[in-house]
Amino acid sequence: MIREYTGISPKGDLVLLQRLSDKLGGKVFLHVNSTKAGGGVAEILHRMMPILNELGIQTRWEVIEGDGQFFDITKKIHNALQGNREIITKKMWQHHFEVNKKNLETIQLDDVDAALIHDPQPVPLIDFKKSGRWIWRCHIDVSNPMKEVCDHLFRYCGKYDAAIFSVARFAKAMGIDEFIIPPSIDPISEKNIELSDTEIHNTLESFGIPIDRPIVLQVSRFDRFKDPTGVIKAFRIARKYNDCILILAGSPATDDPEGELVLNEVREYASDDPDIHILLLPAFSDRQINALQRAATVVVQKSLKEGFGLTVAEAMWKGKPVIGGAVGGIPLQIVHGVTGFLVHSVEGVAFRVRQFLNNPEMARRMGEKGKDHIRQNFLITRQIRDYLSVWYTLESGGKGTSGLRI
Amino acid sequence: MDEMRPFEFMECITILKSTGKRARNIRELRTMIADISDVSLFHHTYQYFLKGHILEYTNDFAHWVGESLEERALSERLSNIDPFAFQDLSSLRQEFLTNIDDYTRHFPEPRDTIPGGEFYFNETVTIIFPIGMWAKNLAEFLLAIRYVDPPCIYYHFYEARLRHGTDDFSAWIESVLGNSELARSIRAIDLFMHNIEGIRTHIVETVENNVRHAMEVIRP
Repeated sequence: MIREYTGISPKGDLVLLQRLSDKLGGKVFLHVNSTKAGGGVAEILHRMMPILNELGIQTRWEVIEGDGQFFDITKKIHNALQGNREIITKKMWQHHFEVNKKNLETIQLDDVDAALIHDPQPVPLIDFKKSGRWIWRCHIDVSNPMKEVCDHLFRYCGKYDAAIFSVARFAKAMGIDEFIIPPSIDPISEKNIELSDTEIHNTLESFGIPIDRPIVLQVSRFDRFKDPTGVIKAFRIARKYNDCILILAGSPATDDPEGELVLNEVREYASDDPDIHILLLPAFSDRQINALQRAATVVVQKSLKEGFGLTVAEAMWKGKPVIGGAVGGIPLQIVHGVTGFLVHSVEGVAFRVRQFLNNPEMARRMGEKGKDHIRQNFLITRQIRDYLSVWYTLESGGKGTSGLRI
Repeated sequence: MDEMRPFEFMECITILKSTGKRARNIRELRTMIADISDVSLFHHTYQYFLKGHILEYTNDFAHWVGESLEERALSERLSNIDPFAFQDLSSLRQEFLTNIDDYTRHFPEPRDTIPGGEFYFNETVTIIFPIGMWAKNLAEFLLAIRYVDPPCIYYHFYEARLRHGTDDFSAWIESVLGNSELARSIRAIDLFMHNIEGIRTHIVETVENNVRHAMEVIRP
């Protein structure tokens, strides 16, 4: 499988993967998160597992199981870490811990050489560590969290050997090594491979979307932090000047109980506007999302808070002009004025949409630069390379300015 | 001449590590530059060239002062600091501090950046590895240099200066191929005036011109 990336990923990434796998081959690498479907984390893990196993690293992916109460609590924790005011009682924290403990009936920890524990849901598993290097992988924007919740959670996090954040601004003083590794997209996945014009056309037709006007698209979960109603407001401003249509497309995630509520709010806000298409796609609708992104004239990710915003990288990989909220990892992907535009308001989105629709040459140029930026920095091979590099560094204790030679 | 030693292309990658330190204004920047580790100073200065950077700046400090604080005069001064002109990191660190101190004497009221625009001090773990490519002559070198990844050019053209005072390409061309004229032309490329792709373009043009000239010369 790794050979399929030849000519797509930078050669150096592939060479280093090979060298790192020579060092770490045969070892056991455990990943634990809270959902197999929906959201960027699950998506990238689906792609990463076969590659790591092919490299000779025995990699397995476990999902923490919990009841509705558990996911309500972890959603509150998630929101509080992103700055929302939430009340999490002692009893709730206890339930969080107990559910993790119960998962030990199915999650095997005895043989682990390295464990990557994703996000807050499975964080208490560290209390049951038996062997290996344990790394907490935080995918969310914790730059301005609710202090009490953060403090409670970090009591667990401080027990890990290291933590990984997506953006430097998210890192916290936890007294352990904190690495910065942005997430990535897989260029040969169903979501990102090249599609024929016929397939793109057929996909739009199947959703009843006309192809007679420019398309503005946002792909994301129906989550308030993604500001879907803000996108509709921006679209309504832009449409006064340029005839276009809006598509808001997203899939539900099993660990997000608020999704349906937000979707209903968005539907109500859009009312029966025939130019706004709200698509709730089943999980694993990757090919359809790919087609929508390739059909789009402009891609928007108007997040108010964002772990990283992989949909931006996906659109850039397809050479699309992008507009993103200047939050989380979006500014790492969008170099303002070079690979797209960063915005801070509804009006900013509307203005930049109009600018792209009226300047196709500029849109093409930025799209081209964006694609190269993604190739060099945001493909899955780079992310796997970085994970293995962190693991190898923890094993070998690499420090100093002269570098580790392998 | 160091006969027959092929040029081995290497690459380096960096993994960022947070130090947890940040600055909101020039005074905090000054305090932190005085305090950060050598690894962090190295990352924000020498490794700046590894990024697809803006040519106006030559290090992360100048970049932040110019873009986030919009203190253009200080940014210009910090950008004029050539890290390769210093024998060690402590002299380089002192040069930054001296420039900031001099500026704040004239403009003593620091302005905070907007929330979210703070400077975050990082360190890096650097991993160096061979990419499995060698060049035995100028033709092979020319072919390889067109296609190697940007971090390979960074490693041989920028970071090499810390190891032996000059870039690896011209050193090999001179010592192995015995082509001092071409080596001089490569050394004449201003490393601050181009990003990595610009450096690649200039090296390719310089080598091609040299090869073309050599082919056109009528030998007696």
